Amino acid sequence: MIVKRAGAGSVACLFLALVGCASHPPLVESGNGRVELVDTPFYPQRRYQCGPATLATVLGASGVQVTPGQLEPLVYLPGRKGTLQIEMQAAPRQYGRLAYRVEPELSAIVAELDGGRPVLVLHNYGLPLWPRWHYAVVIGHDSQKDQLLLRSGIEQREVWTARNFMRAWDNGDRWAWVMLRPGELPAAPDRDRYLEAAAAFEKLAAPHDAWLAFDAAVKAWPETAVAWIGRGTANYREKDFAAAAADYSAALRLVPGHAGARNNLAMTMLGRGCPDAARQQLNMIDVTALNEAMREAVADTRRQIETKLSALVTPPKEC
Amino acid sequence: MRSTNLRSAFVAVMALGIVNLGFVNTAQAGIVGTDTMISTNRDVHLAAVQAQLNRAEVRAELAAMGVDAAALDQRVASLSDSELAALSKRMQDAPAGGEIIAVIGVVFIVLLILELVGVIDIFKKNP
Repeated sequence: MIVKRAGAGSVACLFLALVGCASHPPLVESGNGRVELVDTPFYPQRRYQCGPATLATVLGASGVQVTPGQLEPLVYLPGRKGTLQIEMQAAPRQYGRLAYRVEPELSAIVAELDGGRPVLVLHNYGLPLWPRWHYAVVIGHDSQKDQLLLRSGIEQREVWTARNFMRAWDNGDRWAWVMLRPGELPAAPDRDRYLEAAAAFEKLAAPHDAWLAFDAAVKAWPETAVAWIGRGTANYREKDFAAAAADYSAALRLVPGHAGARNNLAMTMLGRGCPDAARQQLNMIDVTALNEAMREAVADTRRQIETKLSALVTPPKEC
Repeated sequence: MRSTNLRSAFVAVMALGIVNLGFVNTAQAGIVGTDTMISTNRDVHLAAVQAQLNRAEVRAELAAMGVDAAALDQRVASLSDSELAALSKRMQDAPAGGEIIAVIGVVFIVLLILELVGVIDIFKKNP
């Protein structure tokens, strides 16, 4: 009964707000007044297909031509009649884009729109016990009218009051993403969240795309070892061993005990044909402090070094 | 329930074999991927074996939920280790966006519930 009452209470609030109480301070604040990204493509969704449709919309806006039909096998989950958030943020990696989750604040959405990026959001139109999840794309805002403009479902241009938007967004835990081209940073990048996105991107990205993503991180947060390591690994994959060694060394100046950077520096020296120098680097790692995956990697590097040493001709001069 | 568990365990074991064959690490062996270092930093590090199991489990669950076999490898390959770990636990209950229903729907639902709990009385019954 208590539950029922609480439900009725919140429902009544929702109802009042939908009917409209005009005395609230505006939620949309922007120096730009009004922004509408009219060039954002529009794909009206088929039933349950708002995931592929909205993903095609934001990918299209970031220069990737792909249709909802092409994305459907990558993100749609028939057993759930919908698309999971994790797959929404993972699929863009297949197209050379990073999905970055923006701060859960309306001001962050507005900042991205001001920066020219449409924002993919998760809405919940249902109730706590009966959620109705829906993805939509915010393509504009109007701070005068306190409104947001959406591509949503089968509507090319849906006007939402900021209050109603916030209600549906709050119920969906305020998820919002933008698509980033390799090398592009969001309006207000969070270092750890960006690096996490870049690291997940690295596995699927072309080496140069990964390089661009981490190069942006090196420039934004030069005191962060992982940024240098990511760029170093991109250089390594492009077989630019000199540049890779420089990046890993920069990371090690910041965190001298970084086993991952040290291991990768050893691999880089091996790549340059310097197994002796590689072994010296590897010997500096305290293996006892490592977790299983790192221990395996270091052991593998050691095997590769020993193989090279046993088959050694003459090491090149630069060693 | 029991047979479902057995079945998914069997599928997971089979899938593990397939995934192992299909999984290609983009960086050369020996190089540690940046994502591994980030998980290490956060102390939520997943052992390689656990990551492999999660991968197999997610693959089997996706297949059980009707994902086309041809797309399974690509979908699993898109996911980072931490995403695999999260998905393997939450595929059944994580939000899945899909509905078209919007404001009109909400208004109707609200009215219906207000009616049911007796706050309003607009859906007239026979006297």
